[in-house]
Amino acid sequence: MKHIKTLVTRDLKESMKKGGCGECQTSCQSACKTSCTVGNQTCEKAR
Amino acid sequence: MIHQYRNNGYNIVMDVNSGSIHVVDDVAYDVLPLAEQLIEEGVRDADTLTAAVEVCKKLPYSREEIREAVEELLTLTREGTLFTQDLYEDYIHLFKERQTVVKALCLHIAHDCNLACRYCFAGEGEYHGKRALMSFEVGKKALDFLVANSGNRVNLEVDFFGGEPLLNWQVVKDLVAYGRSLEEPHHKKFRFTLTTNGVLLNEEILEFVNREMSNVVLSIDGRREVHDRMRPFAGGQGSYDLVVPKFLETAKSRGQKDYYVRGTFTRNNLDFSRDVLHLADLGFEQISVEPVVADPKEPYALQPEDLPVLMEEYDTLARELIKRKKEGRGFNFFHFMIDLSGGPCVAKRLSGCGSGTEYLAVTPWGDLYPCHQFVGNEDFLLGNVDEGICRQDVVEQFRKCNVYSREKCRRCFARFYCSGGCAANAYHSHGTINDVYELGCELQKKRVECAIMIKAALADEEG
Repeated sequence: MKHIKTLVTRDLKESMKKGGCGECQTSCQSACKTSCTVGNQTCEKAR
Repeated sequence: MIHQYRNNGYNIVMDVNSGSIHVVDDVAYDVLPLAEQLIEEGVRDADTLTAAVEVCKKLPYSREEIREAVEELLTLTREGTLFTQDLYEDYIHLFKERQTVVKALCLHIAHDCNLACRYCFAGEGEYHGKRALMSFEVGKKALDFLVANSGNRVNLEVDFFGGEPLLNWQVVKDLVAYGRSLEEPHHKKFRFTLTTNGVLLNEEILEFVNREMSNVVLSIDGRREVHDRMRPFAGGQGSYDLVVPKFLETAKSRGQKDYYVRGTFTRNNLDFSRDVLHLADLGFEQISVEPVVADPKEPYALQPEDLPVLMEEYDTLARELIKRKKEGRGFNFFHFMIDLSGGPCVAKRLSGCGSGTEYLAVTPWGDLYPCHQFVGNEDFLLGNVDEGICRQDVVEQFRKCNVYSREKCRRCFARFYCSGGCAANAYHSHGTINDVYELGCELQKKRVECAIMIKAALADEEG
């Protein structure tokens, strides 16, 4: 494409099918204790 | 829904519902707003779209350029990476009905502290109550409670928190040993974290921490004058010179991973990017520096009028981080870390941090609260380690709390990155967990924008 460069192709809805196992880290256990930061957490299945 | 913004010379377009990210030129950037409106109305014809954009927008581009951009937007729309719909709200009823289990505890191993930090939400370690140390017996019951309430979850997290947990170190060690003894019979795996101010850190403790703790959070605010102003001993003397060498040794001994130096910035250091860079210059590679959460009446509390300066600080930090990464001397800034292609599933993004359901705080005497920030507020006392959860009604409030239960989140582009934000911050600013802390939201949105721009800039370099 000439005008658009796609940085990431993602389909979040796909994760509705197999997500939600709950094995991932609780966000406040990493480094934040005063602000909720979920987007930077890692999926346990991807570790 | 899309969100488009310019940062550091990049035109970035986020397709919020799919999670796709595009970097576009000025033509596509300027065509996008009207194209979005028309495409959402069902227009799919390139000629019609081009003509409409030409007539309505008076853009300084040729018809050919506009048409090319329109065709590319239509291609992405067909591919499902642009103008996608929010399908998740329909899924929320399943989410509300889900069975949750407890998978993480924040153990308040000591409601006491050897520092007197001025911004401490724990009231210098005492949580506005009495000084207390958790006994081994209470801690043991907490771990038993966790195992018993964790269902099929294998990974269980326990954070030794305070006050200052090293004031009760023997109990920490005994609880780690007890937790390990539960792993095999119950098919569980404990991941322990220690959060410490470093004052009592020594070789013996570090050896144990490196053997047993999955993560260690080291509290330091940045430059000496900034740190010492807010993190003094009770007598007023600073703690920077004492803790920095210990933290450097800790980071080195852990191979520069599985730790964070974690600081808090306040109105006293609005130029907090300098503190982050100071920590990086000291040699730390895993850095988290967060905005203070405080009563707005406190002189150090951040105010809405500070936002422009703070936004510029995040931009400055982002540019410097890119520069250093390109030079091979990068570091991780917790709030700029973002996994665009992987990251959490939708269920996680809708539910947030899990406070009050998956994550609970335990006081030294065994009371259970939704998280460490609610400790001491009797309205949120959920139960205790002997009787378990007694206030299911409060747990239900937290279970039902999600990005769609907060009106202000429903149209926010950052909702799948912050998951509705911190319930405690919302409660402290509006008296309900189903609201948001607006100042925190503005900073969060800025961090998401910077984090994505950094990815674009680093990809640019690779390309």
